[in-house]
Amino acid sequence: MKVNLMHGAGGEVMGELLGVLTKFTHNNAGGIGLESLDDGAVIPIGDQKIVFTTDSHVVHPIFFPGGDIGRIAVSGTINDLAMMGGRPIALSCGMVIEEGFEVADLERIVSSMDGALGEVGASIVTGDTKVLEKGSLDGIVINTAGIGVAEKVVRDNGLLPGDVIIASGTIGDHGIAIMAHREGFDLGEQIRSDVAPLWGMVKLALAAGEIHAMKDPTRGGFANAINEMARKSGVHVEIEEEALPIRTNVRSAAAMLGIDPLEVANEGKAIMGVAAEDAEAILAALRSHPYGQDAAVIGRVTEGRDVVMKTKIGGERYIEPPVGDPVPRVC
Amino acid sequence: MQNRGKIVIRGIVQGVGFRPFVYALAEKYAISGWVKNLGSRVEIAAAGARFSEFCAEVSKGTVLSTIDAVDVFPLDEEVGPGFVIRSSGQGSLDGMIPPDVAVCDDCIRDIFTPGGRYEGYWATSCVNCGPRYSIIKTLPYDRERTAMDAFPTCTPCGAEYADPACRRHHAQTIACASCGPSLALLGPDGTERACADPVAAAAAMLDAGQILAVRGLGGFHLACTEEAAGVLKGRLGRQEQPLAVMVREDAVERYASPTEEDWGALRDRVHPIVVMEKRDPAGNRGISSLHTIGVMLPYTGLHHLLFARLGHDLLVMTSANMPGTPMITATADAVERLRGTADAFLVHDREIVNRCDDSVVRDGHIIRLSRGMAPMRAAIDLGGRCILGVGPELNATTTIYRNGFAVTSPHVGNVRNPQTLAYLQETVEKIGRLLGASFEVIAHDLHPQFLSTRYARELAAETGAELVAVQHHRAHIAAATREECVGIAIDGVGYGDDGTIWGGEIFAGAAPHLERVAHLQTVAMPGGDLATRYPERMLYGILPEEETLRLLLSRGLGEVEAGVLARQVERGVNVARTSSTGRVLDAAAALLGICRERTYDGEPAMKLESAAYGVRAEEWDLEYGREGNCRTLQTAALLKRAAAEGAAGRDVHGIAASVQHNLARGVATLAIDAAAERGIGTVALSGGVAYNAAIRETIRRCVEDAGLSLLVNRRYPLGDGCISFGQCVWAAAELDER
Ligand SMILES: [Fe+3]
Ligand SMILES: [Mg+2]
Ligand SMILES: [Zn+2]
Ligand SMILES: [Zn+2]
Repeated sequence: MKVNLMHGAGGEVMGELLGVLTKFTHNNAGGIGLESLDDGAVIPIGDQKIVFTTDSHVVHPIFFPGGDIGRIAVSGTINDLAMMGGRPIALSCGMVIEEGFEVADLERIVSSMDGALGEVGASIVTGDTKVLEKGSLDGIVINTAGIGVAEKVVRDNGLLPGDVIIASGTIGDHGIAIMAHREGFDLGEQIRSDVAPLWGMVKLALAAGEIHAMKDPTRGGFANAINEMARKSGVHVEIEEEALPIRTNVRSAAAMLGIDPLEVANEGKAIMGVAAEDAEAILAALRSHPYGQDAAVIGRVTEGRDVVMKTKIGGERYIEPPVGDPVPRVC
Repeated sequence: MQNRGKIVIRGIVQGVGFRPFVYALAEKYAISGWVKNLGSRVEIAAAGARFSEFCAEVSKGTVLSTIDAVDVFPLDEEVGPGFVIRSSGQGSLDGMIPPDVAVCDDCIRDIFTPGGRYEGYWATSCVNCGPRYSIIKTLPYDRERTAMDAFPTCTPCGAEYADPACRRHHAQTIACASCGPSLALLGPDGTERACADPVAAAAAMLDAGQILAVRGLGGFHLACTEEAAGVLKGRLGRQEQPLAVMVREDAVERYASPTEEDWGALRDRVHPIVVMEKRDPAGNRGISSLHTIGVMLPYTGLHHLLFARLGHDLLVMTSANMPGTPMITATADAVERLRGTADAFLVHDREIVNRCDDSVVRDGHIIRLSRGMAPMRAAIDLGGRCILGVGPELNATTTIYRNGFAVTSPHVGNVRNPQTLAYLQETVEKIGRLLGASFEVIAHDLHPQFLSTRYARELAAETGAELVAVQHHRAHIAAATREECVGIAIDGVGYGDDGTIWGGEIFAGAAPHLERVAHLQTVAMPGGDLATRYPERMLYGILPEEETLRLLLSRGLGEVEAGVLARQVERGVNVARTSSTGRVLDAAAALLGICRERTYDGEPAMKLESAAYGVRAEEWDLEYGREGNCRTLQTAALLKRAAAEGAAGRDVHGIAASVQHNLARGVATLAIDAAAERGIGTVALSGGVAYNAAIRETIRRCVEDAGLSLLVNRRYPLGDGCISFGQCVWAAAELDER
């Protein structure tokens, strides 16, 4: 087998590649390790729980409505820490840059990264830079790693029957925005990415009640995240289509392109399963933060398996993890 | 001269009046002994001077039976005097589950005989008719193992059951008004309405234009008069979909022009919905906007009683379900889910154990294999393994192969949601249990995302069965023949070997070696399934030109949408590639302004067929090309010609006819050339597009004119209802070679 682009697209096909890349036998430092494939690892040091994660970022184009690669590189790592319940403290930054890259663009990227760090009070404390020959990569790749401290670790596999599912905001913005911008679609109205560092919002939610599981619906979108949560937790999740927050412009763009907004990436959202009695308080906490204004209860957890959406017209359909490109199935 | 023996008869010998038939013959030939039902076979111990004559007669079976084998063994016990029907024993279960049978003429006569025991009784049946599969819990087929178990016979019914001279001798469904299941009329909220004759009350409501949910043999129907059809469509949100109708036999020709073949189909024991030409192709548009109408005759006592009390001679009768989900069977479910749709419920209290939708046929081809036909058994040698074919995703059936027989389930439907998937699982479990099957091989569609594929994988993981993925269109051809052929699969879409979407395919060879040798040009399908819903997208995918956009804009496509569509095709964003025939017909329907949005399965292509109905086609020049090792028919060129004809002001109907004709001619040419190249004499035709009479008959003419024979499967649906059977055939062939 050779690696192909579908292997990086998230969803089921990527699972094949992960089968190879998770064959480390040294994969756990005493807490939560690679084997969990959670948003990050947890390493207990003394009585502290250190959360640790890393992510490499490529995005085309590198500047897009609502953000840029720098903001994604910082937010992605901060959000992975936050999804584990970790307060982000320090990040590293490794840049691989193509020969010919504009320094002015680098300056924009760095300042954007700095802005995101400032929002949550984290710092980039170490870094590395490599420049490669023109043509050996497309522009720039940024890797960040981050450490945080968690008072209480939140996993992605902790959903319990009876829990309520909350989305911290609108679904599908980033993926549709990037696609529209990259492919030059004139949608009549600009769609902006939701890229944002979420620790501030997550901190308020953690303080407001019991969060049993949390995940950021990045690659593979909401469909992938909620399926992973349900599968790892061994539960059934029921989503109300009507309750899903999706911006009108995102919805109509997705409808025009035949793309399911639930299957495209988000960079500033959290999906959480919370104790039913705490749902109101957590929802209020989320909504009190600028990044959580559109938070909504979107479903509930029961015993069983799979993720099913109750549709607006009174039907039901499975929400399945996307497999790279969608394949037509209507006969 | 042999005068005694033990006769063992195998085949479809249950629920078909076999034991009373044997009994009557024993009387006739003065045979003593007994007959016994053993699951999948009947055993007869017989002794008497006229044994040979008796043996010859029983070997012929009853009208409803199918006999696979008759064996005579020495009889090692004393029998007699006299002949008795012994109670059933446990036997092997590889026999058959008898399908439901429309109420017979004798029973109809009983229902309308004044003063008779069965006068006005809705569930009158006999050894020759009535429910079977829909009420069976387990085999052997005896009353105590059916839904009739809840209704112990009264003394007169018991007497008829025991009377060898009676038509209801050993009729497991025997029942009358005093002992059998009864009717009730429920209001919109499910509370029973006091009325002396629920059928008369229901008929009055229907005559007044109200919509009733009627519990039938295999599920609920929604019924109303033609005048009320618009209201029903409105409530269902299906404005365009043609509705099936039930018509009093003497009134059929007021609405339709049945051929002799249609009459035969209408009246046979299945009583399916027969799709036939309308009396006035442009008439009865409230029922169907096509040139055809789906007609069935009343097929239960209840239906006959209803029509006897009804002023109208026609009722719309459409399966009651939520969009895309299985027909509703339970009364409580109906009341809950049809709230706001039905004004009242005419129900009975006999459990529907196995759901069974109405079967549909057209021109001798099965469109939907269901009530009266299924479970359908075919004798075929696929080896010693037990095979399950789970079917595709849409219009699915399932097939279980075991011990020389393939048994295909009734229509399951579109396996796209949890309810229908559950129904698929339930069907496999129930028929599997009835047949005593344990699967060693599970065959499924190649499409990675089909729910049926996922089900197959899970079931295989559970049972350790071997999985075989079968390409959709190869399954179509395998269902048609196992012999060497050139196979034409003209269809909607199916996942191809190369990850593109197939559906206009020419194969050569025999399962498991059907080589793709030619196909329709591979074209863009912008937005994937979205292009199936909006055929205009498909048109642009095939003809991505300014002129197409201008035409679509003039038809009402929004500016922004048009721009996005053009950009999408240019950039290849979420654009699938397809060689589907159905999508070409869709595009033609869009081009001619016949259909802008598909609201039910096959709508654009069916409307195109109706537009072309009765109109002469012109012969156009065709273009062929090549993709890889395959020859292709250039569908873009075909549609470009059609567009030019349209721009020149030609009649839409003529263009529609010409598109179909030339597409069919092109497909036939690809097949004929492939056959000539390989010295193959048979061309097999399958796929949903083959229901289109104009296309099918053009292909037939071309193929036969070329001196080849055309094979069209009449035992299985041409559409995806044949896939599960084809999957079994293919899997067996593939495993034989491993
Ligand atoms: Fe098909
Ligand atoms: Mg993550
Ligand atoms: Zn009868
Ligand atoms: Zn009785």
